[in-house]
Amino acid sequence: MRKHTRREFMVLGTGAGMGLIGAMLSIPAIGFVLSPLFAKRRVAWVTIGAIDSIPLNTPTVRLASLPSDQGFPTPPSNRVVYIVRKDDGSVLTLSNICTHMQCDVHWDAQINQFLCPCHGGLYDMNGVNVGGPPPQPLAQWVHRVNVDPITGQHILEVQNQLNESI
Amino acid sequence: MTLNPIPGDLLTNGVLVAIVVLLHIQIAAFLIGATTLAIVSEAIGMARRSGDERHDRLGHGLLKAEIYLFSTGAAVAIFFMIIILGAIWGRFFVALQQITFWVFFAEALTFVAEVVLIYTLYANWNRLRVHRPARLGMLFILNLAQWWQMFFIDVVASFMLSPNGGDTNFLNQILNPTEIPLTIHRTVGNIAWAGAAVAFVAAFRYWRLTRNVEHVTGSQPSLKPARSVGALAVQGVVAEPVEMREARYWDWVAQWGAMWAVGVTLLQPWLGYSYAKEIQLHEYPAWFTMMFGDLSNVFLVQITLLGAIFTIGSAYFWRRMRASGAAHYRRQGFLALLLLLVTVFAAQPAWFAFTYADVVAAHLARPFWDGGLLNPFGDFIPYKVSALIAMVFLGLWSLTIYLRSVSREQMRPGLIGRRSQALLLGLGVVVSVMMIVMGVIRENSRQPYLISGELTIHNQQIINSQPSDVGGSTG
Amino acid sequence: MSRSSSTTRARAAYRWVDERTGLTELVHKGLYEAVPEQGGWAYTLGSATLVLILLQLFTGIFLLLDYVPSVTQAWSSLNYLRTDDPFGAWVRGLHLWGAYTLILVIGLHALRTFLSASYKRPRELNWMSGVILFFLVLGLAATGAMLPWDNAAYWTATVITNILHYVPFIGDGLRQLWRGGTFVGPITLTRTFAIHIWVLPFLLFTFIGGHIYLLRRHGEFGAWVNYDTSTDNPSREVAERIRSAEPPYPTKRIERRYAAPNKTVDFFPNQLFKDTLVSAVLILFIFVMGLAGGAPLDTIANPATLTYVPTPEWFYLPLDQFLVLTPQNPLIAIGVLVIVGGGAAAMFLLPVLDRSPERRPTRRPEILVPAIFVIFAVIFLATLGVNRLYSL
Repeated sequence: MRKHTRREFMVLGTGAGMGLIGAMLSIPAIGFVLSPLFAKRRVAWVTIGAIDSIPLNTPTVRLASLPSDQGFPTPPSNRVVYIVRKDDGSVLTLSNICTHMQCDVHWDAQINQFLCPCHGGLYDMNGVNVGGPPPQPLAQWVHRVNVDPITGQHILEVQNQLNESI
Repeated sequence: MTLNPIPGDLLTNGVLVAIVVLLHIQIAAFLIGATTLAIVSEAIGMARRSGDERHDRLGHGLLKAEIYLFSTGAAVAIFFMIIILGAIWGRFFVALQQITFWVFFAEALTFVAEVVLIYTLYANWNRLRVHRPARLGMLFILNLAQWWQMFFIDVVASFMLSPNGGDTNFLNQILNPTEIPLTIHRTVGNIAWAGAAVAFVAAFRYWRLTRNVEHVTGSQPSLKPARSVGALAVQGVVAEPVEMREARYWDWVAQWGAMWAVGVTLLQPWLGYSYAKEIQLHEYPAWFTMMFGDLSNVFLVQITLLGAIFTIGSAYFWRRMRASGAAHYRRQGFLALLLLLVTVFAAQPAWFAFTYADVVAAHLARPFWDGGLLNPFGDFIPYKVSALIAMVFLGLWSLTIYLRSVSREQMRPGLIGRRSQALLLGLGVVVSVMMIVMGVIRENSRQPYLISGELTIHNQQIINSQPSDVGGSTG
Repeated sequence: MSRSSSTTRARAAYRWVDERTGLTELVHKGLYEAVPEQGGWAYTLGSATLVLILLQLFTGIFLLLDYVPSVTQAWSSLNYLRTDDPFGAWVRGLHLWGAYTLILVIGLHALRTFLSASYKRPRELNWMSGVILFFLVLGLAATGAMLPWDNAAYWTATVITNILHYVPFIGDGLRQLWRGGTFVGPITLTRTFAIHIWVLPFLLFTFIGGHIYLLRRHGEFGAWVNYDTSTDNPSREVAERIRSAEPPYPTKRIERRYAAPNKTVDFFPNQLFKDTLVSAVLILFIFVMGLAGGAPLDTIANPATLTYVPTPEWFYLPLDQFLVLTPQNPLIAIGVLVIVGGGAAAMFLLPVLDRSPERRPTRRPEILVPAIFVIFAVIFLATLGVNRLYSL
């Protein structure tokens, strides 16, 4: 009887020891893999330029040199901002990231729509999805308009963040 | 010298061309599909170790039918070419010839091969039986020639629908975005149509042959197939009348044709959807007309007809399985019922409202739990698509159950009731009507253009106009 | 005299090693296995797959001698190979064409196994481990395509990581884990690199071990033609066949008729000869294509491009075309995931779904008809995809 319990103890002990090793190793490993979920985002603002230089009612390309918001620091990379300035003074800063598979959409002046080369997604001038597979409208880069205290010009700035999840 | 325009107004010209073209395409599609079926039949017959006489006879029958129809079809085609295209629609046809000269040239060349092969095979079918691989090879080349005919004429047809800015480069015409999907859609459709036609003829022959046979009534399922007249004859126990042996053959042919008609039609919703997608991407107005515009209810009729094909097929399989006492025949009957429900469900907006515009105008473009006409996906297109997906899966299931009974050798030819043959007669008619409806949709979607965005029907009768207008219309 | 004594000495050395390792027994066990006589050329596809995977390992190690997994340097390191190192460019070509050939061959291998119904009892796990291997190879192809960090790689990375977005509830989290951020960036490359170099190959070789172990345990099934009977008394013939079967036949827990093939040959040299020949031809093809075709390198990744047209590799073209055809609706987007995932699950679970003892293709239409439907759909989608890419 006593021998039996000793054997049971060893079986249990082996299992517990292996479990402990596994648990100890998995905590940092899983944490490491999951870290992008918790990592802090580095928000940055980048100046685009004076709003007055943007033509009215037509999507205009400006490149913004946006730093990566996560991961180790790397040189900033260019991103496309489609600026749509409307008659009523409002400004859209559309990204050119298709909401279907995130390919590079471009403004096609012939059909007056944004066209995605990957799967034929279509968006109108306001970025609303009007055809093809995209499930939602184009996202915008977060933007703000500052007034230059010296010249009095309206200066457009964008952030390295989108205004909604796509 | 002043030339007088050919008399006739838009309506008579349009109706005349519609009738001739639809007749032409039904014959042509049957020819191509029948050769494909003959190849399949021959290949199966050759693969069987014990020589399968049925397949040899079926191939011969198909080829005979092709000969009769080919002669008729050629006559119709000449009528079509000279009277209609040459005289009435001369300006359009000359323009089309100028644009796609080499395509028509290649088209004409393929007929040389077809004429030589089809008559050689017809005249020597029995003599070539000892050289079955050679006969199969000739059939294959014949089918290839026929297929290229369709391919080239599809180049012209898809150019008319989506000229892509009127590009006249030969390679660009061949790679016209809607050409390949159209060709595949038609290749598969030809087989389905030939299969349905074979089933139609065979059903009629079976029905005629069994006029005086008491045993095949169809009103009572034969629960003990082994003791019925047909099954005993298989084992050679009793002498049977010639009619009965013939009836067994035609029953087998009928189910063979129906199997192919239903089986390959299962691919068609897929192919048709892809074709429509290319039209949407490259000829949006035509697509809108078909899906949301004036033709949207006609399109729903088409989907109803497609559902009818699957329903009739499943019902026929069910009757045949029941007559043979095959396992799971009840499941097949249940599937036929489900297919019927799906078909009715798919057709729903068509009967309650004529077009999508009407649905919107009646403020019914909302889900049906809100009192609207739309499905849970909340849109007109997914409504049709979901019905199509359901049809395809149910149809696939139905065919699989039937084929399993065949492969488990549970099926006995010659037992199915006479009245069940009405289903196959119906199948042939539905497939034929569906081809017509499809042609009407395709040709009317680009109204009022003959070559989409380039050339309309209205300027056809002015024969004395400047030739430069024709050149200018090619863009 | 010296020659014969050196031969004797070498023999003695071999005996010494053999006594301590059992080498001869191991080699004999590996070479003299009974395999079915008919269909030997079809069975070469499995060994060709293994050889091609080993080729990928081999060439991959050499690429590591130069490649730097960093967004600033990955492209330059490969561009250096392209412009300044002819052998480096060739090795890269071998890696690419080896991958293309591997995907084709592993697909044919799966198709062959499917048609001959080799996945049936007791070989269910052979099939399942094979399906896992197939998906691992596809995963390696996808991750490998992201590493050069040219435009093609960047957009491949964007699209492929974005597929995770459509997983319900946790999709965005998964995408962020792989990308290491909201967008494809520096962490995306290092993580993909680690997956391509360590995670997937580790799993791959683990499952290859299991796959080959199971193959040796149950023996090559071959095809139904190996189990035809020729006498008037089939049951007696089968019983005699089982009685005189060489190991690993007859396999336990299997329908008697399919327990042992009617005629077997030794793996060495009959089968190995065919295997070697096929592998040699494939490697020759890769060798030539690697030199002549090489591996393309686009301009360096540019997230701000407006003109680049992302095109998938040929083996993802049917899937890509499927995306083109799906209508605009979030529900449908998830439906696509369900259809593709369901298809993959059905492929994995095939031996569980098809448990009838029938082996002939014509005797199992319930499996063959849906499969033909799917195969047709894949070919059709690929055709449409090519048509679309050419008419752009």
